[in-house]
Amino acid sequence: MGEQTVPLADPGHDNGKPRIGVFICHCGGNISDVVDVKQVAEEIGGLPGVTIATTHMFACSDAGQALIEQKIRDLRLNRVVVAACSPSLHEATFRQTLTRAGLNPFLYEHANIREQVSWVVEDKALATQKAVRLLRAAVRRAGHLVPLTKRRIPIHPAVLVIGGGIAGLTAARHLASRGIAVTLVESTPFLGGRMPRLAGLFPTGRPARELLGPVLEEVSRNPRITIYTNAELVHSSGFIGDFRTTVRLHPRGVAPNAPVRAATAACPEEVPNEFDFELTKRKALYRPYDGCYPAVPAIDWSACTICGKCVEAGGSHGISLTEPPTEVEIRSGAIVIAIGLDLYRPQRGEYGFGEFPEVLTLAQLNRLLDPAGPTHGQLLVNGRPVRSIGFMHCVGSMQHTEVHEPAAGGKLNAYCSRVCCTACLHAETELKARDPGLHVYDFHEDIRTYGRWHEEYYTKASEQGVAFIRFNPLHPPRVERDPRGQAPLVVRTLDRLTFNEELEVPLDVLVLATGLVARDMSRLVDLFRCALGPDRFLMEVHPKLRPVELASFGLFLAGSVQGPMDTVESSAGAAAAAAKAAALVSQATIELDPFVARIDEARCSGCRVCLGACAYEAISRDDGKGVAVVNEALCTGCGTCVAACPCSAMTQLGFSDTQMKSEILALLAGEAAAAV
Amino acid sequence: MQDVAAAHIPSATAAVWEPRLVGFLCYWCSYAGADSAGTARLKYPPNLDIVKVMCSGRIDPELIATAFVHGADGVLVLGCHIGDCHYISGNHKTMVRMPLLRRLLADLGIEPGRFRHEWVSAAEGEKFARLVTEMTEQVRALGPLSWPALLRERGIGHGADLRPWGE
Repeated sequence: MGEQTVPLADPGHDNGKPRIGVFICHCGGNISDVVDVKQVAEEIGGLPGVTIATTHMFACSDAGQALIEQKIRDLRLNRVVVAACSPSLHEATFRQTLTRAGLNPFLYEHANIREQVSWVVEDKALATQKAVRLLRAAVRRAGHLVPLTKRRIPIHPAVLVIGGGIAGLTAARHLASRGIAVTLVESTPFLGGRMPRLAGLFPTGRPARELLGPVLEEVSRNPRITIYTNAELVHSSGFIGDFRTTVRLHPRGVAPNAPVRAATAACPEEVPNEFDFELTKRKALYRPYDGCYPAVPAIDWSACTICGKCVEAGGSHGISLTEPPTEVEIRSGAIVIAIGLDLYRPQRGEYGFGEFPEVLTLAQLNRLLDPAGPTHGQLLVNGRPVRSIGFMHCVGSMQHTEVHEPAAGGKLNAYCSRVCCTACLHAETELKARDPGLHVYDFHEDIRTYGRWHEEYYTKASEQGVAFIRFNPLHPPRVERDPRGQAPLVVRTLDRLTFNEELEVPLDVLVLATGLVARDMSRLVDLFRCALGPDRFLMEVHPKLRPVELASFGLFLAGSVQGPMDTVESSAGAAAAAAKAAALVSQATIELDPFVARIDEARCSGCRVCLGACAYEAISRDDGKGVAVVNEALCTGCGTCVAACPCSAMTQLGFSDTQMKSEILALLAGEAAAAV
Repeated sequence: MQDVAAAHIPSATAAVWEPRLVGFLCYWCSYAGADSAGTARLKYPPNLDIVKVMCSGRIDPELIATAFVHGADGVLVLGCHIGDCHYISGNHKTMVRMPLLRRLLADLGIEPGRFRHEWVSAAEGEKFARLVTEMTEQVRALGPLSWPALLRERGIGHGADLRPWGE
C-alpha cells in the first residue's frame, strides 16, 4: 500500500507520538453563525492524540497566528489542524505559522468548514455534524503526517526568448541589461517582426523603422545576447530552472562577402513580397528593407529552385545552396514566448476583397503611404490620384454567427482586435493632412479609441471633415462596382447616425481594417503544454494577478502572442515578462512543493506501468536494479503513477494511501460497524 | 402536518437513515468548483464529504473500494474537464479507469447509481451543487448499502478479508 516509510523525526516532539493542536476559526461569524464551533471543539478535543482543541475569532489574524505559535511551544504540539476557510486561501499562511514556531510546515492539516460547510449548509445541527466529520478526518490524517522538505531546484541563469519582433527584442534587451545571458531565436531570416512594415506609429507619429533601428543595434551588439535567425523549434525537454530546447538552424545561403547585387539580379524566381503585403514581388534571394538586421540577404528556400544562377553570377563564392541545416540545444532557466500574431486575411469577396483591385487592406495602404514603400508614398488608383477613399472597420473582428462564415478552425473572431480603430483614424488624419480635399469616409459599427492619446485621432479626423458612417453589424455594407461609372466602387449601407438613411458612397479606394488573429500555436502547445484561450491566443495564469505567466512553471508571455496589442502594449508586456524571468533566473535555486512520487524499491516489480502513466517523463527504469526511478525535479506531484502502480510500490508524499485511507475512515467513522 | 415535514427534513437528532457520500475531488478544478459553490452561498445537502487529491489521476480504485467497505453509500469522483488538467493528462487516466471500475463495482453488487464520475471546472459551482443534490437523492432512493454484508450474503469474495482497514 505504499505506506510511509519515512520515520517521524522531529527532535523534541515526543518521538513521533502525535500531540495535535486543533484551532477552529469563527471567521468573524462566517463560520460560527452556522456551525456551533464550541461544540465542535468539545467533540474534537476528546479524540485520541488531540492535546488541545480551541476556537478563535480570526485564526488567520496576527493574534490568531500568535496563539497557534504559542500553543505549539507551550504544549509541545507536533501536529496542527486549522478548521477555517478553503485551503486555497490560508493553507500557506498556517504552514508559515508552523515554520515560525519551529515545526515542519508539512505537519499541518487544513479543514475547510466555511466553503464546504457554513456557506452551503442551512441547518445548524447538520452543519455542526459535518464540521465534526471533516475535523475528525483532518485530525486522523494529521496523525499520519510526516515532515517534508520543499524541493530545491537549481536555476540555470539564462533565458531563451522565442520570437524576434518588438516584444522578443524588448524582452532580450531588458534581460541582458540585468546581466542575464539571453538566446533569441527567430523563425524568419530577419529580426524586427511586423514593426518595420509600418510607416508612422501612433501615438507619436514617429517612423517605425527609426524607432526599431536603435533597438536592433543594441540587441545585435550586446555580447550577452546570442541571436539565431532561420531557427525552427524542434524539441523541448526539461523544466523550470533547466529547460533544454533544440532548435534547427536553416542555412542563410548567403555569406557577408557574397556579391549580393549580381546574385540577386541573376535570381529568376519572383514571389509575392510579404514585406509589402503582396503588393510587389521579390526574388528568392532577398532582404526585406534597407537597414534590416542582419543586413546580409537570405535565400527563401520555399521559393528557391536551386537553379544555381546566383552562384554562377557571384563567381561561385559567398553563396551556398547545398549547406545542410544544423541543430543546437539551448539551455535556459526560463523561456519567454514572443511569437506575436497574424493579420486576418479577408475571404475572397469579403467587402470585394480579391474581386476588385481597388479594395486594399489597411496594412497594404500603410505600405503605400510609406515614403520608402513601393510607390514612394504616392497613393494612385489606375494611375490617377485618389479623390475618395473609404475605411471599413472590424474586418475579421467582432464577427457574428448570424453574418460571418467561421474560419478553417470552425471559430469566429468574436473579439475586438483593439488596434485597428486607432490605426484607421491615424491613416485618415494622415491622408487628410496630405490632401484636405480628399473625401474620406469611415464605415464602422463602433469606434474604440481606448489607448492613451488615441482619442485625439478621432477628434482630429472629425475636425478634418472625415465622414463617419455607422452601420448595423447584422446588416453590413455591400461593396459593388459603381453602375453609373462615377467611381470604380460604390458602398451601400444604412447609416445609424442619420436614423438608418440609405447611403450610396462612390469610392476610388476601399481600405479594410483587418483584425488581428492568433498564429498557429500547435507547435508551442506540443512543446511547452501551453493553454489556449477561446480566442486561440495563449492564456496567462491570471489576467490581473499573473498576467505574463503561463501555468507551466518558468514560461512567460511577451507581447501579442497573448492577444491583440499595439507596439506600446507589446513592449510593456515584454518588459514585464523580462522582469519576471529575470527575477526567476537571478535566484540560485527555487523551492517547489514536496508532494512528489516516491518508489519503494522492495515492492517494485519493474513492470513499467508507471512510466506510461507519467505525463512528464519523470519516471525511468533502472534496468540494472529492475526498478522504477523517479526524477523529483521533473515530478509535478499529481499522483497518477501511484494509482497506476499494481504493486503499491509507488506512493505520493503528503497523499500516501495511509494518509488518505485514514481520512476516509474517519469521515465514515461509526458507519463501518453498521456496514460490517 | 408537522410530522410529515419533519420526516422530509434531515435532522441531526432524528434517528432516520441518511446517505453517506464520499467525494474525491482534484484540487485545481473540482475542489475549486466546490469552493465557488460555497462563495456563491449555494445550498446543497450536507451528505457528501470531500477528500482532496492534487489530480483525479491519483484516485486509486482501491480508495473508492475503501470508502464503500467502510460504510459509504455512494462515491462521487470529480476531475478537471478533458483538456483542462493541471497535470496535462491525469484526467485521461481517470476517464479510462472509472468506467471500468463502475462495471467491476456493478459485478460486486454496487448499483451504478451509487458511483458517479463527472468533470467540474473551477467555475462550475452550480454544477457541483447540482451533482451533490442529485447524487444524494439518488442514493437515498437506493437505500443503505452495507457492502461487506452484501458480499457475504452473495458469497462473493471467496473469504477475502473485508474487515475494516486498520491503521
